[in-house]
Parts: sequence; structure tokens; C-alpha cells
Amino acid sequence: MSGERTQTGRKRPRRRGRFLPYILLSPLVLFIGALALYPTIVTTVQAFFTVDPVNPPTRFAGLANFRALIHNPFVRQSAVNTALYIVVGVGLSTLFGLVIALVLQRRSRWRGVVLALVVLPWALPGVVEAVIWGWIYDATFGVLNSVLKSTGLIGSYHVWIGIGRVVSIVLIELVQVWQVTPLAALLILAALQSIPQEIYEAARVDGAGSWEKFRRITLPLVRPGLAVAMVESLILSLNVFDQVYVLNGFAPGGASIMLQTYQISFNNLNFGQGYALSLLATFATMLLSLLILAVVYRRVEF
Amino acid sequence: MTTKEADMTPTSLHSKGRRAAPVLLALVVLAALALVVAACGSSSSSPSATASGSPGVLPSPTPGSSITVVYHYPAPPKSVLDQFTAQTGVKVNWVEIGWDNLQTKIAAAAMSNTYFADLTDVDWSKVGQYYKTKWFTPLNPYFDAAALKADMPQIDTFASNGQQLALPFDSSFTVTTLNTKIAKAAGVTGTPATLTDYTNALNKIMAKGTVPNPLDIPFAAAEGLSTYWYQLTAAYGGQVLDASYTPQFISPGSAGYKALEWMVNAYKSGLVPKANIGMADYQAFTSDMAQGRVASVFSDYAGTVGSIYDVPSSSKVVGQVQYIPTPGVSGPAPNLANPDGIGIPATAKNVAGALAFIKWFTDTQQQAIWAGLNGASDVISGFPLPARVSSLQLLAQGNKVSGASELMTLLKTSRAEFPGPGAPPWYSQFSNAVYTNVHQAAAGAETVQQAVSNIATEVDQLKASQ
Amino acid sequence: MRGRSGLRRGGRALLIALILVWSAFPVYWALNTSMTTLNGAQSVPAHFVPSPFTAHNYGTLLNQTGGGVGNQFWRSFLNATIESGLATVLTVAIALFAAYAFARLEFRGKRIILVAVLATLLLPVYATLIPLYRIMSSVHLVNTYLGIILVYTSGFLPLAIWIMYNYFASVPRELEEAAFVDGATPVVALWRVMIPVSGPGIAATSIIVFLMGWAQFIFPLVLSSDLATQPVTVMVAALYGQRIVPFTLLNAIGVLAAALPGVIALVLNRYIVQGVMAGSIK
Repeated sequence: MSGERTQTGRKRPRRRGRFLPYILLSPLVLFIGALALYPTIVTTVQAFFTVDPVNPPTRFAGLANFRALIHNPFVRQSAVNTALYIVVGVGLSTLFGLVIALVLQRRSRWRGVVLALVVLPWALPGVVEAVIWGWIYDATFGVLNSVLKSTGLIGSYHVWIGIGRVVSIVLIELVQVWQVTPLAALLILAALQSIPQEIYEAARVDGAGSWEKFRRITLPLVRPGLAVAMVESLILSLNVFDQVYVLNGFAPGGASIMLQTYQISFNNLNFGQGYALSLLATFATMLLSLLILAVVYRRVEF
Repeated sequence: MTTKEADMTPTSLHSKGRRAAPVLLALVVLAALALVVAACGSSSSSPSATASGSPGVLPSPTPGSSITVVYHYPAPPKSVLDQFTAQTGVKVNWVEIGWDNLQTKIAAAAMSNTYFADLTDVDWSKVGQYYKTKWFTPLNPYFDAAALKADMPQIDTFASNGQQLALPFDSSFTVTTLNTKIAKAAGVTGTPATLTDYTNALNKIMAKGTVPNPLDIPFAAAEGLSTYWYQLTAAYGGQVLDASYTPQFISPGSAGYKALEWMVNAYKSGLVPKANIGMADYQAFTSDMAQGRVASVFSDYAGTVGSIYDVPSSSKVVGQVQYIPTPGVSGPAPNLANPDGIGIPATAKNVAGALAFIKWFTDTQQQAIWAGLNGASDVISGFPLPARVSSLQLLAQGNKVSGASELMTLLKTSRAEFPGPGAPPWYSQFSNAVYTNVHQAAAGAETVQQAVSNIATEVDQLKASQ
Repeated sequence: MRGRSGLRRGGRALLIALILVWSAFPVYWALNTSMTTLNGAQSVPAHFVPSPFTAHNYGTLLNQTGGGVGNQFWRSFLNATIESGLATVLTVAIALFAAYAFARLEFRGKRIILVAVLATLLLPVYATLIPLYRIMSSVHLVNTYLGIILVYTSGFLPLAIWIMYNYFASVPRELEEAAFVDGATPVVALWRVMIPVSGPGIAATSIIVFLMGWAQFIFPLVLSSDLATQPVTVMVAALYGQRIVPFTLLNAIGVLAAALPGVIALVLNRYIVQGVMAGSIK
């Protein structure tokens, strides 16, 4: 089914255009090479230099930037915070995505409307989300307080962001979950829809209940979709910045790794350390992505 | 669907090619690199400012040229900017960008040696950094700072090691504001003159329940919180760092220590609304003070009465809020200066036009106009106060600004947070340590003692790293 | 039996209601806040319909006379449309050729190039911001539409290629075989056969790329210097940064900035769904 096996009919074009693939790819390679790979190479190299306009000149520093980062208590704390953002972000967006996908899988009158509204948060610019959610969480006039108080769940208005570390991080990350859940839902839905109905039929004949079917068929077979959704969410939550910055400023109780990168680069002007930290973040993203794929991803063939 | 799946597996991407592909990729990347490097080589050198001439004599701008001003205040009315164009022939393109984002832009542009503006913000807190980075053109050849000092008391905020990196865009200093209506309702008579009076007055208001939490402190981990602490330290008769940047706040008897203790106690005892833990300065002022939910801001910004509290569309306390002399240990305390500066980035293209604009913009008459001399139609929205005493005088004569004559006195006696050397080059790291630790202490995550020693440790490391 | 299925239906309806509230309420709340006065918005407990109702905030934003907020707002709206629109055209054009090569042609280095392209999706923004700015500055493209469009394109290509690649891979090869028998080259086959049958895939890619362009903030913040190129997100942040702009007006600005992507999501969501589904790895 894959390329190599069905080549017989394509010999002619292939011989005729030996360089054709490269011609077709050249615009892409030029773009990615000049505007993504090249900047990455620069960053990678500069991570090993002292790039600090307050303290010139730029000079080779070996691993000094990395050492300084490891000993910086703010960086350490933000790494712990970021781990929490990732757990909350990946966990909730996968859970919500799965629930929404299961609901959307059933054909019904409402499906079109639900689908349209479910996709909505993903389409909105992050800057706008920050405005919207900042107002929802507002400690004095926010609707979150208003709803919780009028339903009797809280006695008086709470300050949601800035006091408790875990509560702050969960609520900040919830904004990102709101944005990324549609994507997770669609990815999982794609996987759900590729499960042949016959398998469920067979299970039904064997007398399996709904829960049994979900646990024994749906969950294992939806793993590829789950894995991709989790990786997407991981990339976003590991790089969380806007939501934290707008809702919580630089408070150490919520600062993320990207916030530290920004602080070190643009406020302290220690760009070498900033590059080093973003390099570490890239590595962490790669490692954790591979980890998720190794644990969750299973090739599924029907 | 099933056939599609098999086709989509990454395994189908395995190609038989081994060597040619990486080589080709490398070649293309190299080609792109060569292109970029070639382009870098031809990058524009920054125009050198003509550093000749005696102070006060500016090079004449080219008529028909234009300048770009990127600033965190809205553009002045077009009709007023047109007057500048009529006088000099220079067109003005004004771009507004929020303060934080503007700082990112300044750094990104300077790091890439790229033009982005002929004039932009120079924050007083960044002066030490800019002296070292040489990102701004020193104005010493064009303006005589010593001569201007009498009329522009805050001009030295923008000097570092003798270099004048900007002129004041406005003037600003911390002041204490009091909602006199709330104070009277709670039975507070007279104006609290000392810190003890002030604290008692607040406790009285709280006890009476006129407002449940009478004091505004913006406890969000942001610059405004650091400023609050500096001001309160000044009120306790001290300074956070001395002229050699040595910490002055470590011992429990020091002004800085007492100030921090006072702030943290104010939060814990309920003098400050709980919500303030997440509020930045202006956010707190607009949602608390302007709504009549608190009675006082100890370290408010000069000009907020006119620009926020007396504006009916955004305030419920019109006519109720007054500036009071900042209460100190035994009488009025000094007010700390924190004005905005306007300077010329090293990469500016139209230096002559920029210099002409600075001169025009900071002129006595013009500074008064920005604050309302010719009425509301000519002001810069949100402009705090004129940089010049003489402008305030014009405003006081015309009775144009709430409390202009009190502000004139305060302006004259305001002082820089780091008089002499200017803000240290590591101010950003210092302030970061200050606001995070003060925030943590208020949130209960660390004690005052821990906060103070954390900040001091940071200062030692910063000094050692230079 | 009937009772149980009724219960189940009720549970499902409740779940759907929860999903709808979760997805739409924050947007509704912004609309609600934007259509009332500051005092109305600051009432405790909150009003769930605008009370008192006012269109004043939108009036301020739609007023294009003079140098006010309205004027700046419309220009930034136009900028965002041009930048996202042209970046979409460029991205999709490049992606079509590249995705076709990946999906249908065999050549050395296919896997490594594809992996390298996709790996750029893992890069954090601040890792490339300054070097990228330096490149744009050296070729004098700072504060130009072209500069922003080029940067957007480089950022969106990996995802666009991934979606198109999977879409092409799902097209039966038999369709092209006929063309090859007639002596067509791959480029002709792409043009005559693949592109016409891939309409929905191209639409999906275009819409997703356009929405990504519309949402950009940090790159245009740095790469644009003034209203000549600033998109609407930068404008929203500028007003948010003033901190003295009332929340009602801020929400109105947010609603207007979200209006175009919001309408696209509501009306054209089936293409977005198709695109994401095509792009999901199996």
C-alpha cells in the first residue's frame, strides 16, 4: 500500500524527473532553512556564549549559561511550575477532548451546532482570550465569583489568582485548556471514527456492556489520536506565556519557563542565558513528546 | 478510512536514499545562510549623530523629512502635532505601544541594530542598562542638563555617569492620595502628617467600616510594587540602596525593613483588599480608588486625581480625592521621582528631526498644553504632569489642573530613587527580586526576614557579577 | 429498559449543555460586558444580560473620524487581513508542491527533510525571535507586509504540509495513473488531477492557516513598527497595556478582534474539522 510497492505504473514520471522532487521542495527548504533552521542554529550556538549587551563583548562561555540557570532559584521554581502546567494542561485537555469526541461521535440533530461552538475557542487569538478570561477571574467583579457565590459554593468573593500556587496555576492553565481542547477533541474524534463498527457489533454479540466496550475497544483503539492530542497540548503548556503574563505577572507562584526566558532576555538583557533556557525547553519538549508517544501511542491496524 | 491509515504511517516515509539527501539539505541550508550572511554584511550602519556644537544649539532638521515616535502614551491631537510640522517642516508619525511590549521592541531592535523609531521611551529604571549598552544617543551636546535642572527637577533621573540619555517626557513622582469624603465619614479630622497618624487614620476607617479595606497597595509581582516599597522606605527616612548600591534594608531597625513589615502587615490585617494580591498599580487605582472602594493610596502617582479620579466616565469619586503631603516619621517625606523619558535610539535615522521634536515637546508652553492649558481637546490622554515647574506655574495661574500649586511644591522636592549614580545596570534583576519577594511575603509564602535576606543576597550576587 | 435509555438521553443532553456552556460562555461574557456601561459591568452580583444596554463602546471603536481609537482599529484590522490572507496564499501554494512531492514521489532524503520541517513545530517562540528579526532587518523587511508574510509563511508551512500531505495520501492513486498513461508529467498530474479533487483539503488548510495568522502576536509586535503593518492583536495589547482603558471597552475590542475568526469557525468549521482530521497521525 505504501509508495514502494505500487511503483510499477509510475516508472516513467520518476525517471523523467529525477530532480523534480527537489524542485518542488525548493521553496519549502528555502523558507524553513532561512527562517526556521538558521535562527535555530544561531540560538543554539549563542547559548554557549555570553551575549549580554550590558556586559560586552560577546564571548565564548562554555556551559556557564547553563550552570547559571541551574543555580537560579527563579528558574528552578518556574520549572516546577511548568511541570504543573503540563500535568494540568495535558490531563484536562485530553480528558475534555475525549468526552467531547465521544459526544460528537454520535450523529444527532445537535451535532452541527455543537461542533461549530466547540471549534470556536480554538479560532480566537490568544491576546483576546487573555482579555476575556482576566475579566472572568476578576476578584472584585468577575463572573466566576458571582456564579459561585449565588450558587452558595463560596461564602464571599475569592481572589483566584496570586494566592495559592496550585489554584493559580490550574486556573491560568484552564484558559489554555479552553483553547486547545477543540483540537484534542477533533484529533480523538478522527481516531474514534476510524474504528470499524463491526468490532463493536462483535462485542455486543458477546454481551459486552457500554463500559466494557469503552474500556476494551474504544480506549485501546483511540490511542493514536490520544497520543497526538497529548503531544499538541504538551507543546502548548510547556511554552505557556501569554496567559501567565496577563493573569499573574512575574509572580514566582505562577511563573513559567517561557516567562523566565522572557525575563532573562528582555528585562535583564542576558540573551545568552535566554537562548540557553529556550534550548533546554526545546529539548524538554522533544523528550516529553517522545515519552508520550512511547507510552501512549500504539500502531493500530484494522 | 482504513487504506488511508496505512498510507499515513510514518513508516511509508522511509526512503531508500542514504547520503544524497542530507548533502542536498545541507547545501540548500548553506545557500540560505550565505544569502543571509551576505545581507547582514550590507546592513546599515547606524547614522552617527553630529556631536559637534555647543549645548542648546541643535542641528536644523530637513524640511519635508519625517520622524517616528514610538511611545506608550496615545498620540497628541493631530492639530497640535501639525503645529510642529508647520514650524519645522518635519512630519510626525506617532505609534502607541503598551509599556511592556515597547521595552521588548526596544531591546529586540537594538540587539539587531535595527531602526524602529527616531524617538522612544527611556524609562528611568533602565538608564544604567542603556549607559552600558549604548543603545541611546547621549543628549549632552545638545541640551545643558545643569541649566535645565532648576526648571526640570527630575532631569537627572535620565543621567548615568554624566551621560544625559533622555529628557523628561513628563514628570511623575509618588504622592499620597486620600479620599477625604470617606475619611470624614469615618471621623478622621485633619490631614495625617506622620506615618503613625496615617496608620491610625486607616485603622479608624476600617474599624468604622466606611470601607472595609481602606488602603490600596498593588501587590501583583510587578514594577509598581517595588516602587511602593521604595516610597515607603523613603517615608521611614531611608533608602533601599546607598550610592554604592549597598543594601540598607537588612537590619530590623532599618527604614527598608520597617517599610516592608508595614506593607505586609497592612495586607494581613485587612487594611488592603485581599484582591490586591493580583493587582498591578493602575489596575488597583482604577478599580479600587476610583470606585470609592478604598480611602487612600500611599504611593500613588502624581496626576492620577486629574487623569483618573476626577474623570466622571471612569470614576465614582469625582471631587473627593486629594493629594496630601506624604506622611513620614515626623513630618512630610520626600517624594520619589519616576518620570517617563524621551530619547533617541542609536539607530535613529532622523536625529536632527528628533532633537527638534524633543525641544518642542519639552518646552514650557507645550508641556502645559499636554496637561490641559488649552483645554481637554489638546491634551495627551493620561499625561501625568508637565516636566517643568514653569509649566505647572502656567497651569496654576489658569487653574487648569487639580492641585497644580501643591504639585509644584512636590515636584521641586521630589528626588530620584538612586540619586547620583542613577539606576544600577542590574536594576531589572534587582526590582524583580524586590517585587517577587514582597509579593511572596504578602501572600504568606515567606516571612519579612526571609524576603529581606533574599533581596540582599540577590544584590550581592548582582554586584559580584559586574 | 425504557427508563434507563431515557436516563441516558437525559445525561447526554446535560453533557452537551455543559460542553456548549464551556465553549461559548466566555465569548458570550465578553459580548455581554462589551454592551453595557462600566457601572453595569461592575455590578455585584453580575448581570447576565447587558444592563443597562449601551452600544457606546462599539460606537467609539467604529468611529473612524479623526485620529481616535476607531481609526487605528480599522487600519490594524485591514493589516491583519492582508498579512494573514497573503501568508495563506503563499503557504498553501508552497505546501501543495511540497506535499505532493512527499506524498507521491520517491527521492533521496525524503524522510529527513520532512522530519526537519515538522521538527520546527517544537521550537519555542523566544528561541528564534531575535535571530529572525536580525535577518528581516538585514534585508530591510522590518515593518513591511512582505516581512511579516514571509515569517508567517515559514512558521505555518510545517502544519500546512502535514495536512496536505495526508490529504494527498488519501487520494487513490488510480486517478493519476490515467493521466500518466496519457503522458502527463507529475506537475501536470498535480495540476489537473490532484488539485481539483483536493478542494476540501486546500480549503481546510487555507482556513487553518488564515486563523493562525490572525492570532499571531509576538512576531508582528517585533516585526511591525507602526500602524502601516500592525495587526489587530498588537492593537488590542496596546490598549490593554494602557491599563486605564475601561474593561467594557476592552471587551468590545476583544469581540471585534475575535469577530472574523469567530465567524469563520462558526460557518466554516467543517473544513477545520476535516483539516485536523486529515492531519492526525494514525
